[in-house]
Amino acid sequence: MNQVRKQKFLIVGSILAGSIVTVGLLLVAFDKGLNAFITPTEIAEGKVNGSHNFRIGGMVKKGSLVRKGTGTQIEFIATDFNEDIPVVYTGVLPDLFREGQGVTADGHMDASGVFQADTVLAKHDENYMSKEVKAAMDAAEKKKTGKLATEGAHP
Amino acid sequence: MWQWLYKLGSPRHFYEMTTGFVPWLTGVSLFLLIVGVVWGLGFAPPDYQMGDSYRILYIHVPTSMGGMGAFVLLAMMAAMHMIWNIKMADIVAKVCAPVGAGYTALGLITGSLWGKPTWGTYWIWEARLTSYLILLFLFLGVMALRAAYDSERSGSKAASVLAIVGVVNVPIIYYSVYWWNTLHQVPSELGRDGSANPPEIFIPALFTGFAVIGLFFLAVILRSRNEILYRERRAQWVQDLLEKELADV
Amino acid sequence: MSRSAIGLGGSLGATLQRELQLAFSSPGRIVNPLMFFVIAVSLFPLGGRMSPDQLGTIAPGVIWVTALLAVMLSMESLFRSDFDDGSLEQLLLSPQPLYFHLQVKVLAHWLVTGLPLVVISPLLGLLLQLPAAGYAPLLLGLLLGTPALSMIAAIGTALTVGLARSGLLLAVLVLPLSIPVLVFGAGLVDTALNGLPLSGVVAVLGALLVLAGTLAPLAIGAALRISVH
Repeated sequence: MNQVRKQKFLIVGSILAGSIVTVGLLLVAFDKGLNAFITPTEIAEGKVNGSHNFRIGGMVKKGSLVRKGTGTQIEFIATDFNEDIPVVYTGVLPDLFREGQGVTADGHMDASGVFQADTVLAKHDENYMSKEVKAAMDAAEKKKTGKLATEGAHP
Repeated sequence: MWQWLYKLGSPRHFYEMTTGFVPWLTGVSLFLLIVGVVWGLGFAPPDYQMGDSYRILYIHVPTSMGGMGAFVLLAMMAAMHMIWNIKMADIVAKVCAPVGAGYTALGLITGSLWGKPTWGTYWIWEARLTSYLILLFLFLGVMALRAAYDSERSGSKAASVLAIVGVVNVPIIYYSVYWWNTLHQVPSELGRDGSANPPEIFIPALFTGFAVIGLFFLAVILRSRNEILYRERRAQWVQDLLEKELADV
Repeated sequence: MSRSAIGLGGSLGATLQRELQLAFSSPGRIVNPLMFFVIAVSLFPLGGRMSPDQLGTIAPGVIWVTALLAVMLSMESLFRSDFDDGSLEQLLLSPQPLYFHLQVKVLAHWLVTGLPLVVISPLLGLLLQLPAAGYAPLLLGLLLGTPALSMIAAIGTALTVGLARSGLLLAVLVLPLSIPVLVFGAGLVDTALNGLPLSGVVAVLGALLVLAGTLAPLAIGAALRISVH
């Protein structure tokens, strides 16, 4: 092997090795999870400690929303259908905040295991429908599942 | 096919071949835009949750995708310019950067206008929004770098290097909503049974989508034609063209 | 074949030695970024009246952003003198592979400018009331992140070395490309303060370092060829 070719070989080899290591490390990272939100399950497993601020994400549990005082004191339960975390918030909720819809909140856990939220944001899913279509779909869903349908079991 | 592409690589042929194409593209794009906007804003039914605010997405989705597409085009043209030294590739790379930056800015503005009523905030520092903001910065960086060089040649090559390096951001933007738990929703799946988008909401999006793409290429072609005339201003064919135009007046 | 292997290794060693000698002969190259880092970080508590808790919350971000700026400002010395005295042109013309020489050059530059920043960072954590759990991830993150930042910033430096006044332009080019390192670097400290597992974030920082270390030299080389022309 002449010198120029050997050098080319070394450079290409180094780039290839670098790419493979990069991809490998990224796969490890995604396997370990890189979530921007902390889920109720992670909180329940005791993965979060201290009173540091962080962001949780989950669904608003159906039937859990309670308004107190003048209606700006809000309590609801954030769930990932595995664990539930009670959330307390004072302020105005976004228009799309609904039970059974996605939600994210910034804040911290207090000593009694309640999440004290400073901000609450509603997450929207990728489905867009007119009211009529939604009503028709819900009716069809009810017909299909019949009496087995239970409140809050809609993933 | 190859010969046609080869011809498109020469500024003069590009100019001559696009002359007849411009009015046609203008008409079609404007037609699609008007139909899409009137249909989307006036006749499509309100969403069962968002009400009317979802209509912003008729502009937000295509302009945002246009910004990303523009950067991919920029990087492809930059690579062609670096590897094969094709003049026309550099012209397109130069003119598509400001158009792409404009689309990216529109995507950010419309997105934040939609975010306020939907999420409850104009802006949040999460992966999709942050990586998309970086896209705007990269466009501006490429433009600033080109402008900083006195010599057109060195400036174009330097901007090309930055464009090729910066294109790694595009897949990051696209996949950010899958890799991270972002607040931003994932794209709607199309053509699936029980599709996320019923036709009465989806079809206007097709119109505005193609209109926005058409207007992008229109802007790039018009700007390219200006740049061609400027760069080739001393060439005989431009002089002849000028004389003909003056004679017509 | 073995002769040429020695040739490559030897010339890379010589480059490393030369860069380090040059740096130590003008201590300002080492001390100035460090002083900038310390002074800029200590401005933040002075700029706003904050409780120790609030200060501790912003500490990871402040330290990381300032480290990024310090790395960027120190980059001026990477190619400038070589460009002025013509030795950069020699490097480009030499038969030795540019790729490895650029890796070594940036590594040497990091050893004298980036590594001191990492070493002093715990002191700055102390000034900003960083909670105890944050020090180890701060050090680890900067150790992985600052060499990646040096590599990325070197691309911008190579693109602008031929220009007379390049400071602000360099920032415009380099800062957007640095954001991923910044996000995960500062994120590592935050993750630790929340008591969450660190391995995923560490893996991303490692991936960014390997990616920058192997691909950036190609872009730096291409950029230098344009600038020297």
